[in-house]
Amino acid sequence: MISFTLNGKTVQGKEGEYLLKVAEEHGIEIPTLCHHKALEPAGMCRLCTVEMHYGRRVRYVTACNYPIWEGMEIKTDTEGIHQIRKLIVELLYARCPDVDILKKLAKRYDIEEPRFSKEDDTCILCGLCTRICERMGNSAISLTGRGTDMKVDTPFHIQTEACLSCGACATVCPTGHINYEKIRANISESDIAPIPSEYEMGLKGRKPVYVPYAQAVPNTPVIDRTKCVHFKTGGCQICAEFCGVNAIDHSQQDESIEVEVGSIILAPGADVYDPGLHDTYNYTKHPNVVTSMEFERILSASGPYGGHLIRPSDHVEPRKIAWLQCVGSRDVHLGAHGFCSGVCCTYAIKEAMLAKEHSSNGLDAAVFYIDMRTFGKDFEQYYNRAREESGVRFVKSKITHVESNDETGMQVIRYVDEAGRRLEEEFDMVVLSVGLSASLKTAEQAKKWGIDLDHYNFAKTNSFDPVQTSRPGIYVCGIFQGPKDIPSSVIDSSAAAGVAGSRLSDVRWTLTKTREIPEEVDVRGEPPRIGVFVCRCGTNIAGTVDVPEVTEFAKGLPGVVYAEENMFSCSQDTQDKMTEIIKEHRLNRVVVAACTPKTHEPLFQETLINAGINKYLFEMGNIRNQCSWVHKDDPDRATKKSKDIVRMAVAKAGLLEPLAESTMGITQSVLVIGGGVAGMAAARNMSEQGYHTYLIEKADALGGQARHLHETWRGEDIQGYLTQLADAVQSDDNVDVFVNARISHVEGFVGNFKTTIHQNGENRILEHGVTIIACGASELKPGGYLYGEDSRVVTGLELQQRFIDKDPALGQADTAVFIQCVGSRIPERPYCSKVCCTQSIKSALTLKDVNPQMKVFVLYRDMRPYGLREDLYREARSAGIRFIRYNSDKEVDVTNGAEGLKVSFSDRVLQRMMDIRADLLVLASAVVPPAENPLAQLYKVPVNADGFFAEAHVKLRPVDFATDGVFVCGLAHAPKPIDESITQAQAAVSRAVTLLSKKAFLTSGIIAETNPLNCSSCGVCISVCPYSAPGFIEQGPFTGKAQINPVLCKGCGLCVASCRSGAIRL
Amino acid sequence: MKIESTADLENIRQEYSNKLYYPDGTKVLFGMASCGIAAGAKAAFEKAQQDFPQGNGIQISQTGCLGFCEAEPLIEIVQTGKPRVIYQNITEEKIVEVIHSYLENDFKKTKWILGQVRDPRNLMEDQVKNPIGEIDPIEKIPFLEDTPFYHNQVKIALRNCGYIDPDCIEEYIARGGYFSFFRALFDHKPGEIIQIIKDSGLRGRGGGGFSTGVKWATCARHHGERYIICNADEGDPGAYMDRSILEGDPHSVLEGMLIAAVAIGSSHGFMYVRNEYPLAVKRLVTAIKQAEKFGLIGDNIAGTDFSFKIKISTGAGAFVCGESTALMASLEGKVGRPRAKYVHTVEKGFRNNPSNLNNVETYANVPAIISKGADWYAGMGTEGSKGTKVFSLVGKIKNTGLVEVAMGTTLRNIIYDIGGGVLKKKKFKAVQTGGPSGGCIPEQFLDLGVDFDELTKIGSIMGSGGMIVMDQDTCMVDVARYFLDFLKEESCGQCNPCREGIKRMLQILTRICEGHGKEGDVELLEELGDMVAKASLCGLGTSAPNPVITTINYFRDEYYAHIRDKKCSAGVCKNLFHYDIDEEACTGCRLCALKCPQEAITGEKKEPHKLDQDKCIKCSICYEACKFNAVVIK
Repeated sequence: MISFTLNGKTVQGKEGEYLLKVAEEHGIEIPTLCHHKALEPAGMCRLCTVEMHYGRRVRYVTACNYPIWEGMEIKTDTEGIHQIRKLIVELLYARCPDVDILKKLAKRYDIEEPRFSKEDDTCILCGLCTRICERMGNSAISLTGRGTDMKVDTPFHIQTEACLSCGACATVCPTGHINYEKIRANISESDIAPIPSEYEMGLKGRKPVYVPYAQAVPNTPVIDRTKCVHFKTGGCQICAEFCGVNAIDHSQQDESIEVEVGSIILAPGADVYDPGLHDTYNYTKHPNVVTSMEFERILSASGPYGGHLIRPSDHVEPRKIAWLQCVGSRDVHLGAHGFCSGVCCTYAIKEAMLAKEHSSNGLDAAVFYIDMRTFGKDFEQYYNRAREESGVRFVKSKITHVESNDETGMQVIRYVDEAGRRLEEEFDMVVLSVGLSASLKTAEQAKKWGIDLDHYNFAKTNSFDPVQTSRPGIYVCGIFQGPKDIPSSVIDSSAAAGVAGSRLSDVRWTLTKTREIPEEVDVRGEPPRIGVFVCRCGTNIAGTVDVPEVTEFAKGLPGVVYAEENMFSCSQDTQDKMTEIIKEHRLNRVVVAACTPKTHEPLFQETLINAGINKYLFEMGNIRNQCSWVHKDDPDRATKKSKDIVRMAVAKAGLLEPLAESTMGITQSVLVIGGGVAGMAAARNMSEQGYHTYLIEKADALGGQARHLHETWRGEDIQGYLTQLADAVQSDDNVDVFVNARISHVEGFVGNFKTTIHQNGENRILEHGVTIIACGASELKPGGYLYGEDSRVVTGLELQQRFIDKDPALGQADTAVFIQCVGSRIPERPYCSKVCCTQSIKSALTLKDVNPQMKVFVLYRDMRPYGLREDLYREARSAGIRFIRYNSDKEVDVTNGAEGLKVSFSDRVLQRMMDIRADLLVLASAVVPPAENPLAQLYKVPVNADGFFAEAHVKLRPVDFATDGVFVCGLAHAPKPIDESITQAQAAVSRAVTLLSKKAFLTSGIIAETNPLNCSSCGVCISVCPYSAPGFIEQGPFTGKAQINPVLCKGCGLCVASCRSGAIRL
Repeated sequence: MKIESTADLENIRQEYSNKLYYPDGTKVLFGMASCGIAAGAKAAFEKAQQDFPQGNGIQISQTGCLGFCEAEPLIEIVQTGKPRVIYQNITEEKIVEVIHSYLENDFKKTKWILGQVRDPRNLMEDQVKNPIGEIDPIEKIPFLEDTPFYHNQVKIALRNCGYIDPDCIEEYIARGGYFSFFRALFDHKPGEIIQIIKDSGLRGRGGGGFSTGVKWATCARHHGERYIICNADEGDPGAYMDRSILEGDPHSVLEGMLIAAVAIGSSHGFMYVRNEYPLAVKRLVTAIKQAEKFGLIGDNIAGTDFSFKIKISTGAGAFVCGESTALMASLEGKVGRPRAKYVHTVEKGFRNNPSNLNNVETYANVPAIISKGADWYAGMGTEGSKGTKVFSLVGKIKNTGLVEVAMGTTLRNIIYDIGGGVLKKKKFKAVQTGGPSGGCIPEQFLDLGVDFDELTKIGSIMGSGGMIVMDQDTCMVDVARYFLDFLKEESCGQCNPCREGIKRMLQILTRICEGHGKEGDVELLEELGDMVAKASLCGLGTSAPNPVITTINYFRDEYYAHIRDKKCSAGVCKNLFHYDIDEEACTGCRLCALKCPQEAITGEKKEPHKLDQDKCIKCSICYEACKFNAVVIK
């Protein structure tokens, strides 16, 4: 270290450091215009001139590039220095009177008007641009000419190919003399364009070093080799120089890693359709035509426009936006795809509703669609809300093309409406609801993997083994299997993991390593010896907060025996150091003042464990997110606040006690409720995973609804599968099947359920660790339509049964009519039953097979053969089956006339009433849950308004309940076809296994506990707890008082806050 | 033939001393430096070659510059047994006659004769080993050494200029050349050489005046490939000391560099020469080739493990490249711009390695010091500045030329005794020393002994030795403007104080000269000058305000006269004066009227004339023409 005198005070700096930097570290600001921390200082602006005194002599040196030396004496703010700086500023101000930075400086030095004639330059020749260009390894620009003729220029003043348009010069230019326009006009031969951010869909630029997006995993920056200047010129490497932890290594190469695995799960996803391929919609020609993905970013608060709804061309808020559905989907034309992407209808509704919420002027949102396909759970209700409450317009139409009005930036949509009228309407913006598209790159790789793909390049699977590819041991999940939304993908992923796991169940735990945990030191009874670690977080904290001062302050707090600052507290070497310090100083409480405990508390607790002290003796103070980031402009007060935060954390730490985490065994068996396809698939899979399984069915045989199903939409034989599955389950030693059984009583909780079943007049108690509810649903028996009165009127399922039975009467019918949405999508049953459209199409085709002369009509509201099922719909249309859209607002009347059944309905296209004579009327009837479902009560799990079970989280936990240890699958969850039921069953098993395989719980140390003496038995805690942790004591002296089950308690504190007697504490 | 030892050198010396001092037949030497050539020496030389072909007893040869520019072309004729005679202003027309007159012992045309040489021997020569026989002097012809111009000079750096053929290494050796190098190589340890140079008190002759010995010692202390660089980028207008040495005695510089290389421990030398000195470059190239041929430059010199090579690099004419860091940048192939010298070039210079940079004159002094000893050298000069200094004495002075005098010689001595005083009996006004960024010294300091420190004290600098004498017809504001105009062009432009400061100072000076000066301008100039001097990056900037500040200090009234009275008494700033005819002094000789290109002067013969101000363009022809001082500036 070198000591010298700076403005009368003795300060220290490192050998070789320049004066400016050392002064800055000591809070002495020296003005400069030509200094940049990434560049070697050049001392060109001379604004940082300071006085160096030696003996009686004075020398003037520039602080930016003057190296410090022992014993020197520096003065930075004498009158003489002020005069020099003022005159330099005056000269520069006269040279560049319109440059902001100089205007500001002039003001600071009280210069109103320069005493020299004003010029109109904007360049102060600080040389930052030329030096950074050199640093970039390029030197495309340099300072040319001499004296007053000097300027920043390219060789010979011609545009040069040497310029890589990296923009570094514009970034460092303090005056704005060099900007992107000038680079384009005068410097670079090639065009300069920002690097489009992939995440922002090109609406915003990104740097060559970037974090792909805020929630990226891992959340670390990456360097784009194709854009990084270093990889082009060998220059720059500024990032590596500035990285506080030396994390950047430009010499890194991709490496091949070989791992031996038993199973492979493919989840490569898919691409989004590019509407520029066949530009019917003006997408490539006008910025106000965006894809739905781009629009997502526009709406996002972290997006390119900060969440402000504005149109890209002029950043004016749009008054009208149109969504065009089925862009690239359900389209067999050039570049498009024949399948339905399945997700676009719902997301378009969401975007329209969000856009209306974002709009300040009552946005007119219109969705132009072919069929609205809101078939997912609760999606139909969302559609209804959009239409009825939010006023989103839905226009059944066929778009011919989109044109732009160049003067106004408006987009003219030309379309044909459902009645065949040609219309047009103007919108500020058009959002193209682009569909999904199987990735060609993945398709290439699939060849390597040796798996079969379908004609759309999705992985080929079958309905009964939905996550299994054509190659054993390789599984698939997500969009690679076919278009699907998030809940389905999440279910898929659990299923794939579960199935892969079941194949590997006998080698479970064979490759794991056990961690050595040092013995915990008992610190009870010791006075607190608190260690405080204050994190600089690079410049994140230290840039605002005076970290050394906070550290010094911490040293003086009661109980603190050690305090230090770290550059990055979370780095591995700091962790190791902390472990040593804890041991060395015998610390028994640790406070880290850094960022948020949400992300970093477990890491530091781990450090405590490694140092042999209880992890609950840890406290975090958030001086970053809650201090340095939000008080950037007020460093003094931020420092003060940081001290307060540290003081509070230290005070709290002093009160911490070591907490024990209790363990509880998990019963290694499962109860599956329901013997349909979902239940049997779950039981079978559970058994394959190696767990004993109880399967109970209330009916006298296994099979459920599938007993009435003929074929899947792909044509697979359901009855064959069902028989095979039932046999497998029944012959499985590991599965106990109980038919004609009912559940009468349930006790216990996750890991330790005791379910009492009633079978054949006997009660039996089953002990199981987890429960899977697969109790199913059934087909509605509709009223009206002469159903039940006329044998020619059947439900969809009844028709299927007749196919199974090979009913010869079916071939006799001349005309068959299907009526869709019987009992579904009506006010009392607003949901879509999802399966009926596909089933009707399939049945219609089967009828055509039986009797090709048969006239088949399908009366529908929106045809919803989603995903790959669209193929079947297309096949049906080419097979001559007629699809007629009827007006559901008007009655569909079925009467029995002389020439058979007369079906009267209102036709949407012709806009008049129509009659069809039919020999067979098929009612596509709704899927309905049981009217009364005791399971909800027994297992304390919720059902939704429609009577289906409500999962813990629609997207992220689609088979879990909020109550631990209980899972749902099949029709009990929502209407769904057989393949999705099987997938969900496999997913439920997968989730159950994650619990069971632990064998025991480690409960959190932070849980609520009651003091029965204070408890008034009011039961509030029981009613508020989302996890069913509190209950009443049933025996002993405190019978009737509340107690908390430590296994179920999550330590949320809800009961503590709501207890009126103060009987509960955390 | 390789020279391997001092004995080899001695042999050459013997042989060529005879040729040099006792030529067979007659030897006619032409001063063929650039200055002589410009004055017509080359034409005369060719004429002589034509009329006196080789082999008839007359040898036509060339030499360097004797320094007396006013008298160029100078030729020297010598015949064994006869004194050497220097003829002046000998052009093509006169040459044949001059040679014949010498041959015929006809020395009547004394106007053509500058003087006879009493003793041509060099100060480094061993007088005992090399006796010059007694020769009877020619009557009525002065000895050159006694003429006013040469009388007060002490020739060390210029010791061989005008005496030897610069293209002939043997003649250099004949005059003691390369003996010092061999002494350094064989007889001294590097530390001893540095100590001798330190003790001699030699200070850098390029302008900075830093102790050469200390510089060498510092450079030798730093590790890495060390470089010896010679700064021959002499850029000051009106200064040509280095050029004369390079053109007249290139080997002295090479020998100086060799000695430095031995002392510092270097094997690579560079000469950075202005490209505007083509003859100097040519002579250097020849000299290096000859030295290489003799094994004085190259690998394993004289059988030792000392190797040294010298490369020549030509500068493209940027004044600032005389600055050490800019020079090294240029040498590296980069743009010649200075950098901060907080890390000295002796530590990190050329190619970031320790580099010793001295100028031509400094190196030329070195062999003499090694030869004659530190005490001898330190015996000359003043307390702070030892030895001699070469000045180029120009301007409004009678004897312009290169003069080498001991440090401490007074300005009066230089200007009046050597220089012969101001031309046309006009009044001395100031002398500007140190090149464009030097200062103007008024009459009151004429008795100042010239050395580094004294000049600095009065606001000027030694610089590389430019000395411009100004008379009453020189406007000091215009002089300041002139130099700043030069500096504005030559500033590299990198740092704000220099680029913007000089530009603004020049703007102010220009407006003062044009008659638009404002109250406060002088003070603003002083303010700017102070800042530029303190805050600029390199020496060019820090010294740039000198011409302005010294002229303000010593001629402040002249500035005020320009600003307040709108008068330029020197008659230079055209908007600020007019000519008039003093009727009492005018004799009516008509001379002015006849010469006036505008026919602005009218008047009868022997009657006082009149000058029509409307027609006058202030061309000054009448003013110069009038022999009666009747044309006056008003």
